[in-house]
This record gives sequence, C-alpha cells and structure tokens, in this order.
Amino acid sequence: MKRNGLRALGLASCVVALFSLLSVAVDLNTIVANELIDEINLAAGLNLVDEYIANYTVEELEDLAVKGLTPGIKLAADRALFKLNGGLEPFIAMEDEDLLAKAIDGDMDAAEAYVFNTRVGLTKPQAVLDAIATAESVALEYAYGKVLGGFYGPGSPVGEKTEAELLELVASGSYGERIAAATALTTYWILNSDLDHVDVEREILAHTQTELGLAYQGFLTYLYSL
Amino acid sequence: MKNALILAGLLVLTSLAVFGQGYPTQPADALIFPIGEAGTVYEDMQLGVRGGTITVANIEDPKGWNNHTAHETSTTHFTNRMHRGLVNLDHISGAIVPDFAKGWEISDDGLVITFSLREGIKWSDGEPITADDVLFTYNDVILNEDVDTNARDSQLLPDGTYPLCEKVDDYTVTFTMSVIYRPALNALSFNIMPKHKLADSVHKLNPAVPAGTFNETWTLDTPLSELVGNGPWIVSDYQPNVSVTMTRNPYYYGYDPSGTQLPYYDTYVSAIVTNQDVSMLKFRNGETDVYLLRPEDIAILLPEGASKGFQILITDQPGYGTTWFMPNQDIGLAEGTDNEKRELYRNVKFREALAHTIDKETMIQNVLNGLGGPQWSPVSVPSPFYAGRDFYGGPITENNAITFEYDPAKAAGILDELGVIDADGDGWRDLPSGDPLTIEINSNDNTVRIGYCLILQDDWRAIGLNATFQVVDFNTLVNRLFGASGDVIQLGLTGGDEPNSGANVYRSCGSLHAYRYSACDEPDEIDARIDELLALGAGTFDLDEAFDYYTEYQQLISAQLGYINMVVRSFQYAYYDYVGNAFKSSPISTPGGNNGLLMELCFDNRL
Repeated sequence: MKRNGLRALGLASCVVALFSLLSVAVDLNTIVANELIDEINLAAGLNLVDEYIANYTVEELEDLAVKGLTPGIKLAADRALFKLNGGLEPFIAMEDEDLLAKAIDGDMDAAEAYVFNTRVGLTKPQAVLDAIATAESVALEYAYGKVLGGFYGPGSPVGEKTEAELLELVASGSYGERIAAATALTTYWILNSDLDHVDVEREILAHTQTELGLAYQGFLTYLYSL
Repeated sequence: MKNALILAGLLVLTSLAVFGQGYPTQPADALIFPIGEAGTVYEDMQLGVRGGTITVANIEDPKGWNNHTAHETSTTHFTNRMHRGLVNLDHISGAIVPDFAKGWEISDDGLVITFSLREGIKWSDGEPITADDVLFTYNDVILNEDVDTNARDSQLLPDGTYPLCEKVDDYTVTFTMSVIYRPALNALSFNIMPKHKLADSVHKLNPAVPAGTFNETWTLDTPLSELVGNGPWIVSDYQPNVSVTMTRNPYYYGYDPSGTQLPYYDTYVSAIVTNQDVSMLKFRNGETDVYLLRPEDIAILLPEGASKGFQILITDQPGYGTTWFMPNQDIGLAEGTDNEKRELYRNVKFREALAHTIDKETMIQNVLNGLGGPQWSPVSVPSPFYAGRDFYGGPITENNAITFEYDPAKAAGILDELGVIDADGDGWRDLPSGDPLTIEINSNDNTVRIGYCLILQDDWRAIGLNATFQVVDFNTLVNRLFGASGDVIQLGLTGGDEPNSGANVYRSCGSLHAYRYSACDEPDEIDARIDELLALGAGTFDLDEAFDYYTEYQQLISAQLGYINMVVRSFQYAYYDYVGNAFKSSPISTPGGNNGLLMELCFDNRL
C-alpha cells in the first residue's frame, strides 16, 4: 500500500521525482539516501555493499542495518555484514535441521543455505515445484523459487521459458513460481535487453506487480554495477 | 580465508628470490604454442599478457610433493604443474605431442624410439636439464622396485619386460623395446624429475640411504625451496588447510608465438576447501576464477552468470574417467577376518546381483540433471576404444558392451540362490551361514558421489541388504583403497583415450588393482586373459586388431565386475569472463583441471 501510494503520488502530481532520473551520472549514494521507490533504492543499496565494508566499522554496519533511513541503506549494511561474516559458508556448515528451523522462522539466509544443502535432488523443475508446494515458510518458498528460476532462465538445459512465458508466470504463478519467473526474467534482460538504467527505472515506476518489480530491480542492480 | 589467500599471495612475492632469473632471451628450442594461428586448434585463442593470479579451489590438502610416489589427485594436481615429460597431450586437441622432447623418431621395426631433447633448457633452480635427468627418472625411479610408484605399470611391455632407456648424448635418449608397444608414446609422457636434487635419496644410487628413502622424499615437511621442476609452476607456499600457491617457473620452456614466456599468470593459488559446496560458493562469490561445476550447481549459478560476469559451459561431451563402486574382495584377508563375507564378495554372482541394483537412469536424471550417460566399461567413453553403446545420440559400437539392466527383482533372486537370505527374520539378508551381513559403502564428501551412493543404499536396502553409506574424507578413502581395508568403496578414476593407460588398475598385479590385490599372487583364468589382452592390444599398430583385443578386454572386465561401473557425467565448466582463453575448456583440459594444461594458456584479460 505504501509503495503504491508513492507511485500514485509520483505519477499523479509529478512532485516526487525519481532522484536517479535527475542526472545522467548515477550517484548510488544519493539514490540510496533519497530514492523513494523501493526497487530503485534497493538496487542502489546492493551496489554499495563493498563500499560499506570499506567505509564502516562492524558496529556502524550493525547500526545501519537496523536503523538505516532507507531500505537500500539497511540492505547494503546487512549484506556487508553477511559478507564480512563469510557469506553463506557458515550457514551451510550448520545442521540441516537447524537451518530448517531458522528458515521456517523466516531467516532468508538460512532458507537459502537449507535449500543449497539439500539441493542434490532438485535437478528437475518438477522436483523444485514439489518442494515449493510443501515449503513451510515464505523464506523457503523464496529460496526454492530462486533455484527454479535457474531452470526457467536462458541457457538452462531443462525447463527454459520464453520471455512471454515468464512475464505471464510472474503475474499468475504461485509465490515460488513468481520468484522463479522474476529471477529468470532478470537474467533474460541482462542478456537480451537494450534498456538502460533510466528506462528500467521508468519500467519500475510503471508497474505495480511485486515480483515483476523484483525482476526489474535485479536488472537495475546489474545496470548500476556497470 | 580470503585474508589467508592474500597472505599466501604476498608470501609468493617474497619467495621469488629463491628462483633463478630466467632465460635472457627465448631459448632456440622453446616449445611454441600456436596461439591465434590460423589452421590450428589454437586459432580462436588470444595472445595473453603476463601478470595476475588465477585462483581455484581444491578439496583436500596434498599428501606430498613427490610426483612419482603420489597415488592421489590431491597431490598430482600440483606435481603435474611442476613437472613435464618428454611428450604430453596437446593442450587443446588431446593428441600426443612433443613436450620436453622437441621430437622423436620411431625406427622402421617400431622397436626404438629416439627422442631429441630441447637444448639449453633449465630446471627451475637454473641447473641444465639433460638426458641424465630422463635416464634417472626412468631407470632409477620408475623402474626401481624400491620406489612405490603407479608409473611402472604402464611401462610394462606385452612380453613382461620394460623398455630399455639409454643415453645417446646429452640431448638424445632412446627407448628400445623388445616387442612392439603401440602406446609407448603415451607411456613415455612420465614427468621428468631432477637428478641433481633427488639422486641422493635413491638407495640404488646412494647405498648410504636406506631402501625406500625416495618414497619419503619431497614430503610436506620438505622445505619448498628444495622443490625443483621443469613445468610451468613451482610450489612456493603451502598453508595446510588453507592454500597451495605456485609461482611461475622462470625457466619454463613454453612460449607463445609473440615470444612471451608462459604461463601468462604470475601466480596460481589453490584454496584448500572442506568440500565442493564451499568450492562452489567461493566461485559464486568471485573468490575463485574457474569451477568444474556439478549438475546441482547449474540452476543456482545460471541466473547469476550474466550479472556477475561468468560463463557456464554446458555440453553433452562425455567426460574422461570412470565412476564405480567396488566390493573389496580382499576384505579381512590381512587380518584373517570376514572370511565368509570375503568369499561372498569374491563370488561373481553376488557382484552380478549388485550390478543389477544400479539404477543408472535415476542416477543420471536425479543426480546428473540428465547430463550424463551410463558407463559400461573401464575405458573412458570418449576413447575411440570405448565398447559401450547408446551414449549421447547413438551407438558407438553396437552390441559390444556387457550390460546389467536395473532389475532389483533379478538381483534379489540371485541373492536367494546364493543363500543370502533373511535367516533370522529381522528384515535383513544374512550370510549363507546365517551370520548377519552388513555392508558399509564409503565415498568422500562429493555431492554427486553422495547422490549415487544414496540411490545405491536405498536400492540395496529395498532388497534386504543391510547397507549404510558413510562419507569419509578423500585421503582416508584413498588409504582404504590402497590398504585393502575398505568394505564397499565408491569412487572414480581418471582416464584417457588409450585403454592401456588403465593397466595399473586392471592388470592383476597393477598397483591400483584395489578390488582384489591378491589377484597378483592368485590370478584366475580371467585375470590372466585380461593381462594378456592388455598386452596384445598394446602390441599391435593395427588399430582394428587392437580394438578387437580391447573389446574383449572390456567385456571381460565388465563381466568380472571388479570395479562395477556406474555412470559418467558430461562436461560442464564455469569461468569468469576475465579468464582469457578459458572458453577452450573441454574434457581434455581446463584451467583448474588435474593435468594443468589449459591453465598455462589462460590469462587475465583485464590487465
């Protein structure tokens, strides 16, 4: 609701301008501090992780991860801490049942690690869909969805979908399927789209479907990294 | 870990001083790789620039630095980068080509091969390499019964003798064979070792040292400054459980056509990781540059390649090597235990029962993501001698393979016939005497192997065999293999085009005849025929004739079910875009592979 409200405000009154559209050069710190559209703000934040590691202490990062003024700042600090702590490695060293418990509680990193550790049987899209159907939390559905996105994306030896199929699925599938479609769409656009960051920011503004926004966010994250 | 790797890199820089300064100009006898040259298999490759570090990850620490006493790839991964032989596989095509030898001539009768060595080439410490080093390696190391080496088996000629290696002059050696031995060139690719550094540790040359001293030479305790090689890299730092760092050998003789000495990278760092999952995460995080991916990695890595700048090669090319499990037919022999179990394992009908439980299709679909095929023989599938069929789009040699279809009911019937039944009603089959039969399957912490083993375990338990699967670390597994102390071991072997390269495995006295070492002392008729067929196949230049011998050889081994073959996966590889020439990765060579061939042609294209 909050996000859609911002969109409506921006579109209807043109009072709220996209900070990233104001200048040709991309200043990620300005975007992450001021941008009101979450997807754009988060895309900028994801590109600031290494900068945050270089510029902030662990204590400062812990503070920013909780009290950061924007989602992008919080995300950048959170992912900086994650990276400083060894990324996924310490998670995959945990017992699967502990990971599962954390994943059921909503821990996204634990969910990713649990799916990672138990992925040996997930070598076909249907196996992942079956896992999604029985996932015990949104975090697990999301993690399985990311794996399914690998099968649906370009270059997959099994399960590759067209852009049109992915666009349909991102709007109509189960949550895990929508995440999968968003993941695959991001890859598809990175490989095939001529849009620049300004175009993608406009697309984000023009769409309200959450997972489609996630797909554009992923694409924008890539474009900001260039 | 990252800091440790950086530290390792810094240590390398400081250790450069221990090496010589290199050649003032390109040696006249340098080995030139025709990178970028039209009409060659190198034509689509790019000339590189020197500098930078390539980082890979490996499971397990090396067990030493001695190439010829190493029995495990965790060691040869490094020694193969430190040493080169007279001939080698072409890094791209896989053909046998000159390496330290600049060429060879075969006498009209096919019995004498004369190698011309590269002149003016030096070891990494600046000492000249001459024919004496070749003779030392062959006569005093490989053929020395005092040396525990795998290399000796593949030198054995069909008549049971070995080629006679003689020096003509400082840069010419001959190998004289008593009979024709077609794979001689393959066999003579052995890595050359420096006589000036190692002769004193060979008892026959230096009686002052005890027999077997060479086997304890160049261990992990040896100062790295003592290690000398002629290959592209020299080990310059080792941090146990952290990393092995290799630095460019200033006296390596490989060059590109523009006169740039190879390898292009200054430094090669191998991070030692606990398992392949960590290896995968390190690649995913950009901490390593190349990665031999597994089927289960594909869905995770594919969406990230475009944004992170790495490529994933997914091919249907079958890889070299074999995957198998083996019931240890010598179980308890040394200890005088497990007599009945050993008798059962030695019964080919029992092994046939096990062969009928291998659900290859499920392994291929569920473990290999559909990217693989069945393996029916000890010969690598890409080999022209492979007598399998229906792999990747059609028969290679229809009807040549001995196959055991997946048929649990048939397996159960065979076990019933053998008296392996549930005698006490506890739900598990017992030995014919009624004593309990328990089976422990071991493999290392490798998700693909774990996947295979879990499928095997489930199928065995489904027919009443009380099997449990236990993961053990790789070097422990290798020790059990060589010590004949395991129960059922699941593992794989590297392979090649020439079946005779497996002589150390399948010959009854082969050093890797791990499924039944006692066959050396007690060969049965089949063992004897296999020995004979290996010799016959190697003893003819008529490829059709050799094919026939090798077909029978494969059929016998497949029916004998020593190593019971499973499935082979197709080739998949991942590399970051900045690793120039990594796109030429193939089953023959990869930048991070154990033969180390492609690495010396790769470069950091950001420099």
